Amino acid sequence: MVSAMPSPILIIASALGAAFLLGLLDERRTRTAWAITLATLGFMGLVSALWLLALATGQSSTVDVFTAGTPPPFAINLRMGLAEAALSTLVTLTGLFAAIALKAPLWAHGRRAMAVLLILVMALAGIILTRDLFNLFVFFELAVIATAGMILLADDERALSAGFKYLIVAQFFSALLLIGIIFAYQVTGTLNLDGMLPDAGGAHAGVTATQVGAIAFFLMLIALIAELKPFPANGWALDIYESAHPAFSAIFSAASGAAALFAVDKLLAIGGDAWLGIATGVGIVTFLVANVLALPQRNDRRLLGYSSVAQTGLVLVVIGQRDILGDGYLFIAFGILVAHAVAKAGLYWLSGLIAGRGLEDWAALRTRPLLMLAFASFLALLTGLPPFPSFYAKWDLVHLLASHDRLALLGFVLFGTLIEAGYLFRWFGHAIKRAAPADSVACPAERLIPILTALVAAWGLGYLWGALSGQANLLLSLPLLFALAFVLLDWLPARIKNTLAIAGMLGYFALTYQDYDPLRLIFALIFLVGGAIVLLASYHAPGRRAGFYPSAMLMYAGLAMLVQAQDSFAFFAAWELLTVGSYFLILRGKASEPHALSYMLFSLGGAFLILAGFALAAQGQLQLPLEALGAVVEPLSGWVFLLLAVGFMSKTAVLGLHIWLPGAHAEAETDVSPMVSGILLKAGLLGLFILVMNMGKQQLYGVELTHLMLWLGALTALAGNLLAAFQEDAKRLLAYSSIGQMGYAVFGLALMNHLGWLMALMFVINHYIYKSMLFLSVGGVAKRTGTRDMYRMGGLITLMPLSFIAVLIGIIAISGVPPLSGFGGRWIFYNAILDSDARLPMIVLFFAGPIAFLYLFRLIHTIFLGQLKDEHRRVREAPFWIVLPQMLFVTMLIIFAVVPGMALRHVDAYISQFIPNGALSWQGLTITSQYGYWSPVSIMIIIGVIFMLVFGYLLLINRRAQKVKQFNIAFAAERPYRPETTHFAWNFFAPYRKALGFLMLPLVTRFWSTLTDLLNTAGDLGRRLYTGNGQTYAIHFLVFVVIVFLLGMGGQP
Amino acid sequence: MPEVAHIALATGFALVLIGFYGALTQRNLLRIIVAFTLATTGVNVVIVAIGHMSGRTAPILDAAVPAAEAVSRVIDPLPQALVLTAIVIGVGITALMLAYAYRLFETRGTLDIARLTELKW
Amino acid sequence: MIRRALVLVLLAVLGALFAALWLGFTPAEELGLTGRYYAEHTAPDLGAANLVTAIIVTYRGLDTLGEVTVLFLSAAIVGLVLAGGRPAARRKPPVPAGELLATGSRLLVPLILLLGAYVIVNGHLTPGGGFQGGAILASGTLLLLLAEPLKRFSHGLITRIESLSGATFVALGLLGLVFAGGFLDNRLLPVGTLGELFSAGLMPVISVLIGLKVGAEFSSMLASLSETEDS
Repeated sequence: MVSAMPSPILIIASALGAAFLLGLLDERRTRTAWAITLATLGFMGLVSALWLLALATGQSSTVDVFTAGTPPPFAINLRMGLAEAALSTLVTLTGLFAAIALKAPLWAHGRRAMAVLLILVMALAGIILTRDLFNLFVFFELAVIATAGMILLADDERALSAGFKYLIVAQFFSALLLIGIIFAYQVTGTLNLDGMLPDAGGAHAGVTATQVGAIAFFLMLIALIAELKPFPANGWALDIYESAHPAFSAIFSAASGAAALFAVDKLLAIGGDAWLGIATGVGIVTFLVANVLALPQRNDRRLLGYSSVAQTGLVLVVIGQRDILGDGYLFIAFGILVAHAVAKAGLYWLSGLIAGRGLEDWAALRTRPLLMLAFASFLALLTGLPPFPSFYAKWDLVHLLASHDRLALLGFVLFGTLIEAGYLFRWFGHAIKRAAPADSVACPAERLIPILTALVAAWGLGYLWGALSGQANLLLSLPLLFALAFVLLDWLPARIKNTLAIAGMLGYFALTYQDYDPLRLIFALIFLVGGAIVLLASYHAPGRRAGFYPSAMLMYAGLAMLVQAQDSFAFFAAWELLTVGSYFLILRGKASEPHALSYMLFSLGGAFLILAGFALAAQGQLQLPLEALGAVVEPLSGWVFLLLAVGFMSKTAVLGLHIWLPGAHAEAETDVSPMVSGILLKAGLLGLFILVMNMGKQQLYGVELTHLMLWLGALTALAGNLLAAFQEDAKRLLAYSSIGQMGYAVFGLALMNHLGWLMALMFVINHYIYKSMLFLSVGGVAKRTGTRDMYRMGGLITLMPLSFIAVLIGIIAISGVPPLSGFGGRWIFYNAILDSDARLPMIVLFFAGPIAFLYLFRLIHTIFLGQLKDEHRRVREAPFWIVLPQMLFVTMLIIFAVVPGMALRHVDAYISQFIPNGALSWQGLTITSQYGYWSPVSIMIIIGVIFMLVFGYLLLINRRAQKVKQFNIAFAAERPYRPETTHFAWNFFAPYRKALGFLMLPLVTRFWSTLTDLLNTAGDLGRRLYTGNGQTYAIHFLVFVVIVFLLGMGGQP
Repeated sequence: MPEVAHIALATGFALVLIGFYGALTQRNLLRIIVAFTLATTGVNVVIVAIGHMSGRTAPILDAAVPAAEAVSRVIDPLPQALVLTAIVIGVGITALMLAYAYRLFETRGTLDIARLTELKW
Repeated sequence: MIRRALVLVLLAVLGALFAALWLGFTPAEELGLTGRYYAEHTAPDLGAANLVTAIIVTYRGLDTLGEVTVLFLSAAIVGLVLAGGRPAARRKPPVPAGELLATGSRLLVPLILLLGAYVIVNGHLTPGGGFQGGAILASGTLLLLLAEPLKRFSHGLITRIESLSGATFVALGLLGLVFAGGFLDNRLLPVGTLGELFSAGLMPVISVLIGLKVGAEFSSMLASLSETEDS
């Protein structure tokens, strides 16, 4: 087959021929020149792609192309293998689309500029293909000069000085490279890369065997690495990124970076494993520092520059780890590299459409949903979110690092990724929430085509990597495809999409319900059926509601996949999907920008802990069945448990990791709050369930980890309830209440006894029902009254009776008083702690109980009772579609209260598999534990009777009571120095606040904001290193050389 | 007696270092460019020095050096070929830097590198 | 001052590296692997007497192609950089060169061109070759530019020479791919007798192309730079 393939030399020859021929063209025939340029780049891409296809399908094997009719090492040879073909395809196609995007400046500057572009792409392909060191140098110089030429295409006049700075540092690179090359020649007698390996004939023992050879190798390596813009020798690159034409920056980031990386890779292959440490060290420092320095950036192109530098550093780390990556090396390196290349090219092209240079100017994209999709996809590519190649690559990388005990490196990689996600998603938040410029984005075809191609490439590569990964291909999973379909259907009216969504979720449940064990069945019910019920409320939204359904369905797809997941990979992928979906969903709220970001960061941070935990547990495998978590042995198991538990608890908002929740839940839209509170929080509980069921009790340094969880759960319950009591904003109150409720559930799980788990499950069900219901009612009230502050409301009972009923039932259920299902939870809970010996946290938890009454009481008392405000005289009941699910929930609460066994007895039996002792016995409608029995129906009847009696008595004695007027009590004790202080409900629990205020100090918030401030300050100080002076940049390079020499070679070559 | 190659090599290295020093301390763009040509020349001298073999002649076959004796009579031709390429590349870059310097002077009115720092951080 | 000290320290470390190279360097007694091959095979295989030219034109022809591309690129970019400058019309007219230089150049330029042509075509036999000859050709241009500063060179002609010679270079290289041993194989034409002008296959032809191209590119760069002169 090889003979039928076009010679790879054509990639180089065609570009050169075309570049030379362009000179023959009349200066005015710009259109023809452009057509020739595009055709040539297309041809180069075609040849590369043909080779890629042939090599990938095994129809062809790696070929060496000789020149001059003479075999190497006597003449230059090129090599076309899989990696070369892939990179050359990447480079030439980037060049092609950049040429399209560069249409305007290329036309303005004429054929000379086009020739420069052709030669640049050719030189990059040459760097990739050549096997000769000096030839590599020639191609590098060509690339340098051509880059200096392309910089001139910028509209920005500052590009001129950036180009000069580049030429200065490039002179240093090339001098060192050349000296290294000539001494490598002196040692080995050849310039051929393969000739540098230890010689079979015994002529020499490899280039690095002698001292001279080692120094020569060091000089070559450092000069090539310098082309990767390593910290701190990268000021010149950042200036180029900021000032060059964005379409060229795409080449500079995606193509030049890829070619230089491959050159380093080729060189390291002949140096042996001893030199890999330098690559790893330089790579990880660059990755971390560049990401930190990117934090204070406000210029989009410079920010992307920092991100490019960081990503290249990450690939360099992968190259440095090739000794442990084995067969996965190319999969991982290319996974990260193509993700970076496609995303960066796409983002730079997008930046060409944006008029302003500030990050908030990207809000202009809001009028173009397709471009917004592209923006989001590119950010996901960079962050390594599913289903993109970088996700699969990072998964494998982390697993291999973990299995070879390179844990510090693993930690650094994940930490750097988190910082990168931080500034990227902050930027996305700006684009979604900031004021859009008046003039919309102009989208000429030549600017649009490259962006859309990158978008298609992103998803196509995601599919490809899924297929190659050996894991389940995420882009073939039904829920995800269903969610993605809403991207295409976004033009439909919201009502139709809502119907489709509900039908889809119910249908998927019907399709799969037989596959679940009883525990998962409950979660599946909540996620899919419960989700569908909450979606009923979304019928109230008019219009198209652009962007809502893709986000919501992405979250539900993640949830559906999470319940079905049987192995760590599927679980983690689902976890990330639901995180992304919910992030988009939360971001839709009015003032949600900062909260959505902190939600995303805590979630991703938690996800990375989970990833690390899974990777540690997998012990060399690339995934493990979730049941196999139990097989992990000490002392590893303790760490695995810790990482996973903290990861899951970041989602349940345990104390210390909770600060994202109140804002995220409170600022979300009316129908989104129940989704993210009632439903999404359960994902963390599912994870914890799976964890404790499979791993049981674990110890670390003699500390019982479940005991720690117990304390955390108790303290979370206390803190959540306490904070809820002092809220003025009804939705924030509910949000804090969720924190407390999740604390109970965590506590129950951590009890590690039968009833504890049952109680946790009870909380799962109950919390879904009443929190969804309360968020809907309060949301409905807020919608009608236009405020969420409770002291601005009052007396709505007559105007919004249905909402009142829902809230009343809801708070009865939550507070755990009979007769509703909350009592069931409490009952099981008391039984559970009698089973346990953890007395102290128990007391804390008991203390939390009454506090719940305090805040719940306010909900009903402040909103619905008391005086009606003047401005609310005309308020109507909440919209039908918001009330309907509430009524369904009321029904469910009552049914669940009467026959809790319906759901629980199956789970009870299931839990018995894990903890046989302490099961309940279910007889008819009565439930018996070893400490007593609970008969829901009789309780319901008794409570009903008592209620009627007391109610009747109250009616009787209160007949002559005097109604309190609005201002009767306003001035009882405090001076009204602010308008809200005149309302009795404001600062309602002031006495308690005085007593317990010290518990309320925002210590946790302060801790996290100090941490982020520190990072930001470090970034802001650190970037001052780049003074803008070209000589300083050159000094940075020399400092870099000296440091790497002293650290990497110990100064002793 | 030190060999010619050693002397040439030392000279080359010295030129490189002097050129680097100039390029890092001079503030005038033109002086920086001159310093770089010095360094480039130094690198070229290093290349030639590596190819030198004492007691041998230029790698050109003629009546004095018949093809059959070439192996024992001529010096290594490869560094000579390389240095030619290196020189030409150096010329290209120098021309480019000069043009850049000219344009910078024209647009900014200065040749002081410390004043071309509007891009930073 | 601190900067200078820092630079000196850094260069001292670099110098130490160089010193280590210098100390470890032993001049070769015998030709290395590739050097030996060239000494033995160039004459019989390629028919060239000048080993350096053989390496430049054939063995490392790809480098050379890159090298002329470097010049091409530099010339193009110099043109691009300077194209953005002030229009020539507003510049002060340069000082005339004077009688002596003008007359002398008329005498010298043909001789320079002749020497250039000689160096180029004999590149495979004697010291010289396309680059050396091309540079000589360009020095003729330089002399003309100095002698007649008012005269504007025809960029069109230079560009055409540049483009045609470059494209032919690539095309001949590709022909080698089809009809000989590979890209840039000089045995497209018969190798001939060692030492004759028409020998060494394609080598003289490529030398000529390189000479033309280098001459044209240097001339183009010089012309572009001279047009910026506004003293």
